[in-house]
Amino acid sequence: MNKILLGRYLPGSSLIHRLDPRAKLLLSFYFIIIIFLANNWSSYFLLFFFMALTILLAKIKIGFFWKGVRPLIWLILFTVVLQIFFSTGGTVYWHWGILSVTSTGLVSGIYVFCRFVLIIFMSTLLTLTTPPLEIAGAMESLLKPLKKVHFPVYEVSLMLSIALRFVPTLMDEALKIMNAQRSRGVNFDQGSLMQRLKAVVPLLIPLFVSAFNRAEDLATAMEARGYHGGEGRTKYRVHQWLYHDTLSCLAFLALTIGMLLLRNW
Amino acid sequence: MQNKKIKQLVVLAFFCAIIILQNIIPFLGYIPLGPLNLTLIHITVIVAAFVLGPLAGAIIGGAWGLITFIRAFVWPTSPLATIVFVNPFVAILPRIMIGVVSGWIFSWLKNCSLKPLAAMMISAIMGSLTNTLLVLGQIYLFYRNQSQILYQINTQALLPYLLTVIGTNGIPEAVAAAIIAPAVSLALLKNRHNQINN
Repeated sequence: MNKILLGRYLPGSSLIHRLDPRAKLLLSFYFIIIIFLANNWSSYFLLFFFMALTILLAKIKIGFFWKGVRPLIWLILFTVVLQIFFSTGGTVYWHWGILSVTSTGLVSGIYVFCRFVLIIFMSTLLTLTTPPLEIAGAMESLLKPLKKVHFPVYEVSLMLSIALRFVPTLMDEALKIMNAQRSRGVNFDQGSLMQRLKAVVPLLIPLFVSAFNRAEDLATAMEARGYHGGEGRTKYRVHQWLYHDTLSCLAFLALTIGMLLLRNW
Repeated sequence: MQNKKIKQLVVLAFFCAIIILQNIIPFLGYIPLGPLNLTLIHITVIVAAFVLGPLAGAIIGGAWGLITFIRAFVWPTSPLATIVFVNPFVAILPRIMIGVVSGWIFSWLKNCSLKPLAAMMISAIMGSLTNTLLVLGQIYLFYRNQSQILYQINTQALLPYLLTVIGTNGIPEAVAAAIIAPAVSLALLKNRHNQINN
């Protein structure tokens, strides 16, 4: 279960860990957007340099990041091959039917590979250094302006926190149900399509029923503790925007300027 | 009244948790079939639409769409996703419509005094096909002429491939929805009925 996206938070006290979760969330999204600005070797080099710097600051071993890339490596390579064969333009090296290998194709294939690795590294960094509930809290405070257009910000963020909180609980439950079925001789990865579909029914019914029962209990517990909607609710963890958050925003500003310069160079 | 609202919210949150879970665990969320994955997540959306109503179905469908959209960038499910689901319209809108269509057809069929099982089977198929048709239609609409936003892929050459893969996935997905969604929904409705009586 170590390869899942959620809940692989590594506790730590590095600069990146201590950043305001709002800043981390915004800046990671921003980084993924800037990646699409890169259009030549030097700009990709700059992005990798910046990424390496943030990883050093987070004091997390590079191995954790490769673990994020590894389950996706075949998919990435497939996309790269697709890119190489189906691109047009530049010098044609090889041609057969609708497939062709061109110089543009080769270069953009490598670019796509770099782009994937950078995006995965950055999203891994976010989930490694920020607990899921902090991300939910950060989203709530970032979505707050939408309150003006009657978007149910509190409800959405509450749903997100409850969902994230109960994913591990429900996962344990689901695995238990699956093992119970296996011990009764059900084989999920064999048989015709129809048999496999039928094998899913006794997995989903107990899972849904137990989720419903848990929801009932949780709703009762919330009501008993006086939950009355998000208005005026106080928080246990209060986010504070500190000088190092501003500093990291400035670093990203410098990165953007660098990217724009390299792009038009 | 307040109690009912909290309960609705919490139940929706649990459905979102199940959707996240189905994205992670094989056989719960998808059936690996050779190189392709047959998704089962639309069944959760349809169950939400049957048990909690079309609006809840739309919300859960929207949550799935959002996850699909984000995953297309950071953790794609298939090579297709990196091309198709990076467009938020293709990723989110069809998923929302699954909930809306199956929920509405179900309540309409129920009013026509059809048996719940038959009504559920028909609306599950309709909901599932809505997803397939909307994804196909939008791919055709968005990628027919212009080149890709993200990659300079010759989409003209890829289009038949894309359409075949999604089209052939659509039928087993509809069958899966017709078998599994009514079974789960009926069990849930029965369970809820018991709880109210006790």
